[in-house]
Amino acid sequence: MFDLDAGDEFDLVVQTARQFADDALVPAMRDAERAREPDSGLRATWNEIGLAALELPEAHDGAELGCLARALVNEELAAGDVGATLALDTFGPAATALLEVGGNDALAAGLAACDRGASRLLLISGDDADCGIENDGGGERLSITAPYVHAEAAGALVVLLDDRALLVESGFDFEPVRGAGLRASGGASLRADAAPIAGNWENAEGASRARARARLYYASLLLGVMRSACDFSAEYSQQREAFGRPIGHHQALAFMITDMRMALEAARLVVHEAAWRVDRGLPCASEAASAFAECIEVSRMVGPNGVQILGGHGFMADYPVEKHMREARALGLLCGGFDAAIDEAGRTLVEQTTPLALGASGAL
Amino acid sequence: MEFTVDPETRRAIEQARELGEKELRPAGLEADRRGAPIAPDDPFFARCIERGEGRTRWRGPDDSAKSSGGPRSVISTLLVMEELAYWDRGVIIATPGPGLPENNVLVMGTDEQKERFLGPFLEPDRPRWACFGMTEPGAGSDAAAIKTRAEKDADGWLLNGAKCFIGGASRSDWILVQATLDPSKGRKAQRAFFVEQGTPGLGGFQIEKKMGLKAYESTSFTLENVRVPASHLLGGEQRRESNAGFKTALKSFNAGRPAIAANAVGMARAALDESIRFAREHDLLEQDRVRDRIEAMARRVRKARLVCLKAGWLADQQRPNIIEASISKALAAQVAQEATSMGLELIGSVGSRGDHLIEKLYRDVKAMDIVEGTGQVQRMIIARSLVGLPR
Ligand SMILES: Cc1cc2nc3c(=O)[nH]c(=O)nc-3n(C[C@H](O)[C@H](O)[C@H](O)COP(=O)(O)OP(=O)(O)OC[C@H]3O[C@@H](n4cnc5c(N)ncnc54)[C@H](O)[C@@H]3O)c2cc1C
Repeated sequence: MFDLDAGDEFDLVVQTARQFADDALVPAMRDAERAREPDSGLRATWNEIGLAALELPEAHDGAELGCLARALVNEELAAGDVGATLALDTFGPAATALLEVGGNDALAAGLAACDRGASRLLLISGDDADCGIENDGGGERLSITAPYVHAEAAGALVVLLDDRALLVESGFDFEPVRGAGLRASGGASLRADAAPIAGNWENAEGASRARARARLYYASLLLGVMRSACDFSAEYSQQREAFGRPIGHHQALAFMITDMRMALEAARLVVHEAAWRVDRGLPCASEAASAFAECIEVSRMVGPNGVQILGGHGFMADYPVEKHMREARALGLLCGGFDAAIDEAGRTLVEQTTPLALGASGAL
Repeated sequence: MEFTVDPETRRAIEQARELGEKELRPAGLEADRRGAPIAPDDPFFARCIERGEGRTRWRGPDDSAKSSGGPRSVISTLLVMEELAYWDRGVIIATPGPGLPENNVLVMGTDEQKERFLGPFLEPDRPRWACFGMTEPGAGSDAAAIKTRAEKDADGWLLNGAKCFIGGASRSDWILVQATLDPSKGRKAQRAFFVEQGTPGLGGFQIEKKMGLKAYESTSFTLENVRVPASHLLGGEQRRESNAGFKTALKSFNAGRPAIAANAVGMARAALDESIRFAREHDLLEQDRVRDRIEAMARRVRKARLVCLKAGWLADQQRPNIIEASISKALAAQVAQEATSMGLELIGSVGSRGDHLIEKLYRDVKAMDIVEGTGQVQRMIIARSLVGLPR
């Protein structure tokens, strides 16, 4: 069966996310960027709509809707303001990372460490930081140096390595940096010197699934940013005139806008299929990595083209397209970015003889 | 959401795979090596008929004929098309049957026309073909500009003009020829006519030398004072004044473009598998650059397949799919070309010898961005809805 309808349950949460994005995130976008955080009003509304617990198991008072629901919701939120989304969703992809690697106990420890989301539970991918574990006799300790994380405070860190996840509740410092994008989420370099490890769960398969979910988390945010860039620039191209007609009626721009839309449409389907695989418990590491890579590749085209369509106006902060361009790039550098993604996807692919043969495992 | 293949389609894919491996791939490679289409009397075609191929989907005058079987939903059809094209797209098109014009006849033909022109395809006694002649030396994308004239007189219709690149024209029982009643009136004045092989004035058949897809013939021909009876106007006399109903029938739904897209996906996937095989045989899989190319190819296959299936899924849901159909075709053709090209980079100078499957795929797949509306034409269609691009 091939079916692209999300279903009523998903439609409802997507609708909620879209409304929050349109009514709350978009109007506050530049303020949140300047303040480096969403204001308290936004936070209060966010807490009311309850989207943070979308993926958490029911045992942890979550909606247990899975990775695909998260992807759909993330696209909506990021189409509003991706920086604020990262700040508001205090679990980010860290909670599901704990769940995948260490199960319910790990998740419970993580939720307690961030006071159930009152502070941020920040995922640090081993691809984005230098991490070293040492044992001084009194237990394992972790040192981290990360040049950039999209936060400047957190209740706890979840460090995701190839074969394990670590929970770190203290002993780390943030030094704020300006941030190329995602400023509404804050931005800092992160350092920990021999921080105590509060939890250490070893599970290579779980870590692989956790990485897949993290990549899809950011990939779906990229979809939202790109959608905004596509929509805004396509709309603008029908208002602005040059050489006697709307600029969008010049074929060079019409085709550019078409190519942006086609690429976005394809990237979205690839993300949804990978997320669906996660939810079905099917192999998903390669697919998720590939989906993230696809979103990054497309965003490298969509971001700058969105600005190009507005010309000089696009370059100015009066319009959102410059923000889309910066934020898309910043998102695409997370979790090891494009190179780590294609590396993982490629390694899995070449283990097989005919990796995309139709119907071999029931899935496409 | 669901991204699975149902068991029935999986069986159809499996059959296509067996047929592809045994018959289609070898026949395609052979035609490519010889540089000529598979001859109409080649035993390959007789075997097609024996297997039950080459039949019409029409179920006979009293709806009693056995359905030609095969997958039912558009999605299912697309998946099987992908698999068949994986083995050889040129050979698929060469396969006997009522081909491209069948749909037009089913949608718009009169009962008599179905009986006369599709009837012989119910239980064909030999391999039979039919084809659709739209393109002319002077007009392809701009189909409104075709010049082939149709003039009515007391005895029927008189056709004059020239067509080119028409698949299977010289071997077809009949050609559905698109002609204009008045060249100054564009698409509105165009009608389609059945022209049977052997009709005086139909001639000058010239099989083109093509870059790829050599297994089937693409043929130019001329129509010089070709006389056909009034009953050969597709849709019958009632269509003489207006074609409106026909346009509506084809407007909201398109399965042809996703089918080309599915073909492109199949070809790109073949290039992917060949690349992996080559890299494995030559101990290249440990090289980052090689794996990166394979990943890039696989990613293209994956996304092209999904956009194609989305267009098919909408069609199955009876939901308008014009934009998605164009997206699928424009995107799949382009990324499949990229994928085969990357495959060539991977095999390096072996690809320059001209005898490697990936090199053949690279040539074959180019046509997917040209036939049934070029990539640019698809973008025009999409842009009309996205930004109101004027016609
Ligand atoms: C292998 C093969 C099989 C075929 N089989 C058949 C068949 O069975 N029956 C049949 O009728 N035809 C067939 N064709 C013909 C095919 O449909 C045409 O080649 C196609 O429609 C393009 O027309 P053209 O070749 O005249 O190119 P042109 O229309 O001359 O186009 C040339 C270039 O200009 C671009 N272009 C044209 N107009 C615009 C515009 N407004 N804006 C931007 N760019 C534009 C096109 O995209 C293309 O890149 C076949 C072609 C091939 C290659």
